[in-house]
Amino acid sequence: MILIGENLNIMSKTLGPALKERQSAAVQEMAMAQNAVDVDYIDLNIGPARKSGEEFMAWTVQTVQAVTAKPLSLDSTNLTAVEAGLKVCKSKALINSISLQPDRIETGLPLVNKYNADMIGLLWGVEGMPRDANERCMLAVDLVYKANAAGITNEKIWIDPIATPVSGEINQLKACFEFMTMLSDIAPGCKSVVGLSNVSNGTPVDLRPYLNRTFLVMLSRYGLYSAIVDAFDQELIDIARGRRPEITQLIHNLMDGNSPDPKSLSPEAMKYYKTVRVLTGESLYSHSWLDI
Amino acid sequence: MAIVIPKTIYNGKVKEIKLGSDMQAVSVGGENCFPFYLFEGAMPHKPVIAMEVWDSGTEDWPVAALEPFKDVISDPAAWANKCISEYGAEMICLQLVSTDPNGMNRGATEAAALAKKVADAINVPLIVWGTANIEKDTEVLRAVAEACQGKNIILGPLEEKDFKKIGAAAIGYHQTVIASSPIDINLAKQLNILMGNLGIPENALLMDPTVSSIGYGIEYCYSVMERIRAAGLTQSDDKLQYPLICNISKETWKAKEAKVTEQEDPLMGDAKKRGILLEAMSALILALAGGNILVMRHPEAIKLIKGILDELYVPSK
Repeated sequence: MILIGENLNIMSKTLGPALKERQSAAVQEMAMAQNAVDVDYIDLNIGPARKSGEEFMAWTVQTVQAVTAKPLSLDSTNLTAVEAGLKVCKSKALINSISLQPDRIETGLPLVNKYNADMIGLLWGVEGMPRDANERCMLAVDLVYKANAAGITNEKIWIDPIATPVSGEINQLKACFEFMTMLSDIAPGCKSVVGLSNVSNGTPVDLRPYLNRTFLVMLSRYGLYSAIVDAFDQELIDIARGRRPEITQLIHNLMDGNSPDPKSLSPEAMKYYKTVRVLTGESLYSHSWLDI
Repeated sequence: MAIVIPKTIYNGKVKEIKLGSDMQAVSVGGENCFPFYLFEGAMPHKPVIAMEVWDSGTEDWPVAALEPFKDVISDPAAWANKCISEYGAEMICLQLVSTDPNGMNRGATEAAALAKKVADAINVPLIVWGTANIEKDTEVLRAVAEACQGKNIILGPLEEKDFKKIGAAAIGYHQTVIASSPIDINLAKQLNILMGNLGIPENALLMDPTVSSIGYGIEYCYSVMERIRAAGLTQSDDKLQYPLICNISKETWKAKEAKVTEQEDPLMGDAKKRGILLEAMSALILALAGGNILVMRHPEAIKLIKGILDELYVPSK
């Protein structure tokens, strides 16, 4: 599992202002903190960056790579800004992301070969978010076809099936799972990636890790290659690295319909048990899902 | 080969709840199938109609809505009794419009005295509805709970921000409460869990999913109510098995489509017929989505709805 740290993010209450004010010390501190943990990439999320995006991304890349050799994921919907980052990026970068909106795909695809980068192919179409697994498939086929036509091989494409909050429409999560079971057939050789923490967006902060970790194990069972994650959830990293086989096994058993007797589970295992049930839609999510 | 009609598999049941004091009791809920799916299960009670009584603010009502109540408009107790004796109201919903801090801002003591007067005057269960102003409802509904002790009245709306204080009073004075959530099934479930944690007995809780008129997003209400019932009945989600109350008529009669007169817009046609149909059809949709209590206003709309519900409510042989 390739892990991409999400914490260098314009949405962060502390890092956001630091990024906007180009405070290199604070940004580098965060980069070093992620350098010290077991993530493979560091995501640089500068948001839509409509104003002076080029300078912003180039500055962020240079500031960060001064203190870490980890590869970077350049995260902005402003692809001109992303290109400015690619120009100065020393390692093989990941473009986060190219969606199917015509302007994005036309601007984005040429960057992949020009800068020998990988790309996240976001399944977001002209009509917005796909409604089910079939629409995800259609968008994936379309995206891969266009990328191939631009000379990009499947190995460079990381498909993002779009994960949505569990507190929203649960059928969207089911569609995400279903799509993941089909991805290797419809786009052989393509990789996959999700913004994992989306699943727990809106959930009380202290409870979010249970959703994120469980979701990661479930998706990896369906072949997920990579995830953008909270770099400081050590338990999540341990699970991803195979150091918590008992949790992984429990989640797999539940996915296979081999439910253990809940009474036999430890309080900690019980939390994963309940979380699988809300992520599969067997039990309706509420903020108190772990208590009932 | 014989055709086998597929059947929904149910594993849950809506809680059957007795409302009102022993003298006035009405029961709601108890169904173990989707609304009116009498070929798949049992629905012991038809949706019941609660008629609205306002303590002020009726000057904004369209003429057609006001007409049947002209003679009792300034006397809520008489108004309530007219609804019961002449129009067959099964419950009364007293809307404490006068307590609105942005309006008359009537005090809690006065409002509580009025609620008690109405509760004492009628022989059906009483719902007392606040203004959805967190601070004011906390004050008013707590006072109402105390004043109406022994009546098992129904208090609402209780929201995330005021359920603790109002709920505590309701527990203390043995009243029933309405958990109100903003058209969101996850938040509805959460509030019910919190109500349970607070100590609200299972037989003293109704759910208000927040409803709106045809033309104002009723599809979303329908969808959320449908999902609430699906979770409660087919996923045995016991936090979503409470009866649903729909405070619908005040939504329909404030809509432009009910208010505009024929003189103002001749293309809209007869205003009375329009307002009645808007109310009746909105209420019908909510009954089909699983509404157990329909708060309604116009006697003609109620007559229409009762006729349709009677036709739908024929247990299969």
